[in-house]
Amino acid sequence: MKMAMAWGCLVPTRRSLIGYEAATRKVLNHLGVETVDIPNETCCAPFWMQSLDFTTSLAMAARNLAKAEEMGLDLLTPCSGCFHSYMRVNHTYENHPKMREKVNDILAKANLRYDGNVEPRHVVDFLYQDIGVNAIKESMKIDLGEIEIGLRYGCHMLKPSDLLNIEYSERPRFGDELLEAVGVRCKEYTGRYRCCGGLLRGTQDDVADYILHDRLMDAKNANLDGLVTVCSLCHIQHDMGQKSIKRKFGIEDLEIPILHFPQLLALGFGYSAEEIGLNLHTVKTDGIVAKIIAGTSKGGIKK
Amino acid sequence: MERAEDVKSYKPDQPIQDSDVRSDFKYEVAEHVGAEGLLRCLKCGACSGGCPVAAVTDYRARKVLGDVLLGLKDQVLSSDTLWLCAACFTCEERCVQEVNFTDVVTVLRNMAVREGFAAEGYVEMAKRVIQFGRVSPITRQVERMRENLNLPPLQEPAIEELRAIMESAGFPEIMEAATRRLKTV
Repeated sequence: MKMAMAWGCLVPTRRSLIGYEAATRKVLNHLGVETVDIPNETCCAPFWMQSLDFTTSLAMAARNLAKAEEMGLDLLTPCSGCFHSYMRVNHTYENHPKMREKVNDILAKANLRYDGNVEPRHVVDFLYQDIGVNAIKESMKIDLGEIEIGLRYGCHMLKPSDLLNIEYSERPRFGDELLEAVGVRCKEYTGRYRCCGGLLRGTQDDVADYILHDRLMDAKNANLDGLVTVCSLCHIQHDMGQKSIKRKFGIEDLEIPILHFPQLLALGFGYSAEEIGLNLHTVKTDGIVAKIIAGTSKGGIKK
Repeated sequence: MERAEDVKSYKPDQPIQDSDVRSDFKYEVAEHVGAEGLLRCLKCGACSGGCPVAAVTDYRARKVLGDVLLGLKDQVLSSDTLWLCAACFTCEERCVQEVNFTDVVTVLRNMAVREGFAAEGYVEMAKRVIQFGRVSPITRQVERMRENLNLPPLQEPAIEELRAIMESAGFPEIMEAATRRLKTV
């Protein structure tokens, strides 16, 4: 199995997100998935860019799809925003022939062409659908038991389900199923499916803070060992934003570690916390990692 | 925009006058890709009910839809309210009439940008993309972090290709219109 990787803008460059890339590369490699990076990847033109101009944005996203199409590969990305943008191109191609023509006219001026033959995939959905729970379970070297986390699917991997075609977004289960299979307890708690306000960062910071405050309090009240995210914006909000929410709202005891979904799997595959960038997160992750290792020393290492 | 608990009344400041109404506005909006569902809106309010921004402010998707359907073109396009949607797509997922409000917001914002009303933050991000080919540039510090994690060096974005795309899509003219009277929202 070979996939063309679109890493996005934020994941490979932000301190707290870089571990998402590291863990994804390790997990895919460990599971025997061959990857090739999309050559000279450019901005996928997500929702904020679509707000400025939808047509330009479609053509920008189609550029990376065209490169994957040239290689004859489907596109895989860990970034939910990127995933959304690429799915949007295909959806528009299928439903709006005139827009499809327009986008290809624009691409032609840059000597590019995209015919809609690439299937964009999100890493978490790919792990569940194409690799499968059993194969992942059998690859585990360490039992991840003893921890209870809140899994945040975020918005842009699932919503709207008509566009993204993974699972109806109100009560998704596939991510929980995957983590539960490797021994992680995923807690159902109020607010876990609600938006973090990430896309308002930079334009409506005050509103983004109020929304994030509510999400962090939801997580705090749920008494979790940590949160697990699949969306880069969810991670930026909950991890990088946590300190400023503590200060702004005068909350003293708030210290929730935020892990990227594949980081948990990579730990289970036997990679160290440093190798997958867990030491780069803003909120310290030592506690939850120690708890996993402690569980391991109690006989958690699989034979 | 006000915090939800500060709002005392939803009564508008003044009655709407005939001169404020552009009755063809909704048809103009509904012609765009993504906004085809607009005319199906029943104004039931399911969109506002699930909205994360409505939970912390007095922003109401139903009101935006109501204003569009009524034809308050100038008010809708020039209002900061238009830039409050966090694009979580919950309303789109729940709307029984498949109005696709989030996509309607995109269409309305595209119109607003051409009238010179754009969120400054987004315009700044677009400028970075035009300059670097990506939202967050590759700095020496980023390269060092990647080396420490044994990650491959990042490839330079195909900036000329991207600029050619943006130019042939007419984006420079749109940016010019957007920055003509930039709103800080």
